[in-house]
Amino acid sequence: MSWFQKKPPEPSAESPKTTPPNRAAKGLKVSSILSSETIVFPVEGQDKAAVLQALAAAVCGKAGIADWAAFLAKVQEREQGISTTLDTGLSLPHARMDGITGILAGMAILKKPIPDPKQTDLSIRVMFLFFSPNKQDAFPLHLQLLRGVSSLFQPALIDQLTASSGPAAALELIKKLEA
Amino acid sequence: MLSFISFGRAAAIVLCDMASTAWYIGGIVETAIGPAAPWFILAVLICAAPVLMLYVEGSAMFVRGGVYKVVRESMGGTLAKISVSALMFDYVLTGAISAVSAGQYLAGLINTAFPRLHIHWIVEPKLFSVAFALAAVAYFWRENIRGIEESSDKAVKIMSLVAVMAAVTFAWAGYTIWLRGFRWPAPALNLTPEALGWFPAGLSLGKFGLLIAFGHAFLGMSGLETLAQVYREMEAPKLKNLKRAAVAIFFSALALTGTVSFLAVGLIPDEIRKNYADNLLSGLAMSLAGPHWALLILQACVVLVGVVILSGAVNTSILGANGVMNRLAEDGIMPESLRHLHPRYGTTHRMVNLIAAMQALTIVLCGGDVYLLGEAYAFGVIWSFVFKAAAVLVLRFKDRSKREWKVPGNLSLGGREWPLGLAALFLLLFAVGLVNLLTKKVATVSGISFTAFFFALFIVSEKLNLRAHAKGEHREKFNLRSAADLAIVRDEIERANRVLVAVRDPGNLYHLNKALDTHDSETTDLVVFTSRIRKGLALIEETVTMDADEEKLFTKVIEAAEKHGKTVTPMLVVSNEPFYAIAQAAQAVGASEVIFGVSAKISTDAQLERLAMTWGSLQTDKKAVRFRILGPGVEHAVDL
Repeated sequence: MSWFQKKPPEPSAESPKTTPPNRAAKGLKVSSILSSETIVFPVEGQDKAAVLQALAAAVCGKAGIADWAAFLAKVQEREQGISTTLDTGLSLPHARMDGITGILAGMAILKKPIPDPKQTDLSIRVMFLFFSPNKQDAFPLHLQLLRGVSSLFQPALIDQLTASSGPAAALELIKKLEA
Repeated sequence: MLSFISFGRAAAIVLCDMASTAWYIGGIVETAIGPAAPWFILAVLICAAPVLMLYVEGSAMFVRGGVYKVVRESMGGTLAKISVSALMFDYVLTGAISAVSAGQYLAGLINTAFPRLHIHWIVEPKLFSVAFALAAVAYFWRENIRGIEESSDKAVKIMSLVAVMAAVTFAWAGYTIWLRGFRWPAPALNLTPEALGWFPAGLSLGKFGLLIAFGHAFLGMSGLETLAQVYREMEAPKLKNLKRAAVAIFFSALALTGTVSFLAVGLIPDEIRKNYADNLLSGLAMSLAGPHWALLILQACVVLVGVVILSGAVNTSILGANGVMNRLAEDGIMPESLRHLHPRYGTTHRMVNLIAAMQALTIVLCGGDVYLLGEAYAFGVIWSFVFKAAAVLVLRFKDRSKREWKVPGNLSLGGREWPLGLAALFLLLFAVGLVNLLTKKVATVSGISFTAFFFALFIVSEKLNLRAHAKGEHREKFNLRSAADLAIVRDEIERANRVLVAVRDPGNLYHLNKALDTHDSETTDLVVFTSRIRKGLALIEETVTMDADEEKLFTKVIEAAEKHGKTVTPMLVVSNEPFYAIAQAAQAVGASEVIFGVSAKISTDAQLERLAMTWGSLQTDKKAVRFRILGPGVEHAVDL
């Protein structure tokens, strides 16, 4: 018998400073689906629901979707299910939506970590929200993006993002990492 | 790791018992029925074919289809306990007679060779054989404590030696026959008063005498139950391998035991043969054509190979009895404490201790008399076969589901199938059993006493176990190893292709069975994995014991692996997050594929989503792994 314990994120001071390798989804760069307008930083809101709401509004606003509440409702419904928060400090809410043809994504960077309401031992430092088309042939891309984003947002990058000066600088960091 | 053996290894294990009778059956049967003995030994060996078929049918129905299981399913627990009590008598006697016979051969060689070497030591054969037999039992007791893998290796080596010795002896005998001619054994019966048992001497028996003589030669069929015991260990394709093993056993036993029995009577002069009653093959070696020194070397070879195979029979008897007792313990018929696993070797060491102790006691009580043991021996063999045949026959009527394989001789009449072949076999075995009861006094008295003792022991144990805890499904015993990492498991995984199968619910192993169906043990290591989820301090304080649910789960895993004959490596991980545990385990074993079942609680999409996230957060290299969710009518696969 072996013991695998999911460990809480290490404090920033002890986090490795080396740049993690780029392991984003093959053929899809995370930086290509983000823009300065969809990066919310600093975030206003003290809990996950408020951050999610702000982020959904930003993502839908950038895509010209007026009914952003429907998108928020869908992702909130998904959030009722299995957890989307990782012990790296990344929260990765997502939903598969009818009526869209490509990926819509946004990111919120929190200066101060907030607890995950479902897993109180986990803190959220960065939230990455995305919507993908609700089509079976788009599901592999959806999964690849989940894997890629989880792989990319390791504690070292999250440290650098929270220390960055604003959305543009944060996007540059990601681009640099994916280059 | 649960691993499986080839049909050749399985056949070697069975032959270590069955073919070893070649070294003593001739002397025992001739003492009882006269020089016609080889004809009856041949008849018994030919009759082994339908009995092997009986075992193939029983094993094909139940992977653990030994006499106990088949009789219990067919005729209930009481008869099953009686049949298995008789079988235990067979196993104990097999070990004792084999070990004592080996001692007799060795004593004979010493007493022949030492005067030629100017060593003036003569050993007392009976005393020497008892001492040797005890040493042999002690040796194989230790080997069985250490595990079956090593024992099957040994069985293959022993049978290779026997094959070489047989080839040399047969060729030499052929040369002798070419020089001197051959005298076929007279088919006339000469039953001794002892061989008639409770029948008065001088009674005109007519054809009934043939059945009596057949019964006296029946010990030639000992060891077949071991085939059912090793079937669970046989690799895929199981049924095909079982049939191959049965064919190999039949022809090997027929060639060895049958031929040496004829050669012994045909080539050893009558006036000398009685001196070799306890070591007939030594007599055969010394009666061949050639210089005395060469014959002495051949005798030494025959004796040494005999000592090895007879000792191997001790091993087989311990293995077989251990297997039978395990089945009984699973049913709560033996004390639960007997199933305790050896902390280092993982064997049921207390059962092995018990079997070895009973064999040692028998050896001491018989005082080195091979004939006495031989007379007692056949009781367990014949009655376990009678019960087995009756059970398989009853099952033909009780359970009409399609069989993977059936004993031939079935007549379709009036919309029903009538198992005439099986019925004829049962009648023959039953008749031999009844005749043996009346003619083999030693067997009847000692066999019934021993069977009654074991039966009483089983009844008492079962009642005590029922009182101690409610009877439930059988659960396998597992050894858990405490390790902070997976180094030990990794050591056991040696193939390039590694597949991790995550299991949780013993009622939902569809995906495991699919994996067992499609993956080849030769090329793929199948790691069957479950995680125990603990939160907070409970994780740190976890002790290395498997709980009842985990035992039940892994018992089902082992049963599935046994059914498919595929190797699996069970693995249990304590974690605070199930998906984290799967991803971590997959990375630790270097899996190229991870298979899990459909969850009753979470949709397959949500399962894959969470896995993709966890996998990404942990991924340390770019190697893609295929994740598959399998369920009835459901198959999702994604490369991440």
